[in-house]
Amino acid sequence: MRAPLERNSTWPVLTAIGLTLVLSLLAVAAPLRLPEGQGFPAPLFPLIALFVWSVRYPRFIPPWVIFLVGIFQDLLTGGPLGMWAISYLLAFAIARLRTTEPSAREFILLVARSSLMTGIATLVAWVAGSLSIGQPADPTSLVTEGVITLIVFPAFCWLFARKRERTTFS
Amino acid sequence: MAQWRSARQGADDTIRFSRTFLLLLLAISAILIAADRTEDRVEAITVFRAAFNDVSLPVLEAAAQPLRGLYNVGPWWRRQMELANEIRELRQEMAELRAWRDVALNYSEQMRRQQELLNLDPPMPRNRITAWSVTETGGPFVRTRLVGVGSDNGVEPGYPALNIYGVVGRTIDVGARSSRILLLTDLNSRVSVMADRSNARAMLVGDNTDFPRLDYLGRAPDIREGDRIVTSGDDNVLPRGLPIGEAVMDRRGLWRVALYSSAAPIDLIWIWPFEPIAPPAEEVPVPAVLPGLPPADPLPPDAAEAAEPDAVSSAEPETDQTGEGR
Repeated sequence: MRAPLERNSTWPVLTAIGLTLVLSLLAVAAPLRLPEGQGFPAPLFPLIALFVWSVRYPRFIPPWVIFLVGIFQDLLTGGPLGMWAISYLLAFAIARLRTTEPSAREFILLVARSSLMTGIATLVAWVAGSLSIGQPADPTSLVTEGVITLIVFPAFCWLFARKRERTTFS
Repeated sequence: MAQWRSARQGADDTIRFSRTFLLLLLAISAILIAADRTEDRVEAITVFRAAFNDVSLPVLEAAAQPLRGLYNVGPWWRRQMELANEIRELRQEMAELRAWRDVALNYSEQMRRQQELLNLDPPMPRNRITAWSVTETGGPFVRTRLVGVGSDNGVEPGYPALNIYGVVGRTIDVGARSSRILLLTDLNSRVSVMADRSNARAMLVGDNTDFPRLDYLGRAPDIREGDRIVTSGDDNVLPRGLPIGEAVMDRRGLWRVALYSSAAPIDLIWIWPFEPIAPPAEEVPVPAVLPGLPPADPLPPDAAEAAEPDAVSSAEPETDQTGEGR
């Protein structure tokens, strides 16, 4: 049942994970300087990357990696420090409590779990950000980000579920 | 490495969430959020963020290049036609503006003479620092922007930042090669302003919307729709007379300002060096000297030297303010 990549070497996987996480952070924080001005909403790429890798190789996504990704996202986007860290940690902690791992690899369950995670992450980010600025923040852009993430997530889940099938039965 | 792998081989299918460790990380995050509150941010975090910006700026810039290229592919021929039209319009506008330039030069000369007569310092300093703004952090919590100049280029915290249309904000975190600009729309931005027409004073309060609010207007404010709003300089945070925007009334009857700076995407930014007027309170008092008598308690020569220029510099802007307030 084990994927061939895992048996051979750890390094390619680690490199792939590191690269994906870095790219996802850059995609969220890169200054695009769009002609329409600011406010271009992007999905929460780091959450997607963390989720996908945590299902495929859970042992390579320990809590401290989730924490670091969150902190870097805060630093790069200039948001309140610790906001995304706490959101991602809570999202992973809560979403994990509600699933049993092997069945979580089926597509529907993956989508359900990723949606739950996005919801929790967005909600916690809003609460943490509001606490940080001392009043309820305008949730529009956060909700937009969350919705876009929800839309994009199933595609990644589907890709992943397909990949998993191939590696299992080939 | 082998040992590390074998230790975790059994737990292949689960994330190993040690509860204590998770709680510890959550606690650290919470502490960081508390320490990073914008109104009372811990000094170390400010320094760390500035240093981090210095390091991350080139990486972010490089990362944005290919993405920007993708966005610019589009139908370029349509852009060419738009450009041709734009050039034609600009030529016409330039011809009209030439006459206005003469008027402006005339006025500026008159103004200079009058300022000389009144012994006023011109409100704008001469050496502006030009920079590209590089990140767009349009999140729901902060409205800031990063620029690629820092203390190496002479930027200091609190300097006003403008684009060609008007004030954008002012610098807050300043690193060696980068600074963060707090936009006027940010929740923490407070700038004292006035209406150009009536000199009615107000406080421009950012509330994370695109149209900051005018607060503390008084009972019957002399403000009309479309009034030009400029900085009043009363707060000693920004110099007097910088263009901010136009007064507009929202649906609830609150006065807000449509910022000039949001007329176009904020790209090129000028940072104006501005020294606020220092209070004379902490200065060494100069002892009163009676004519014909030696001073009772002479100051050491270096202290006297240190006190004197300060006294002069703080006295001058005082006259400047009272003179302008009329």
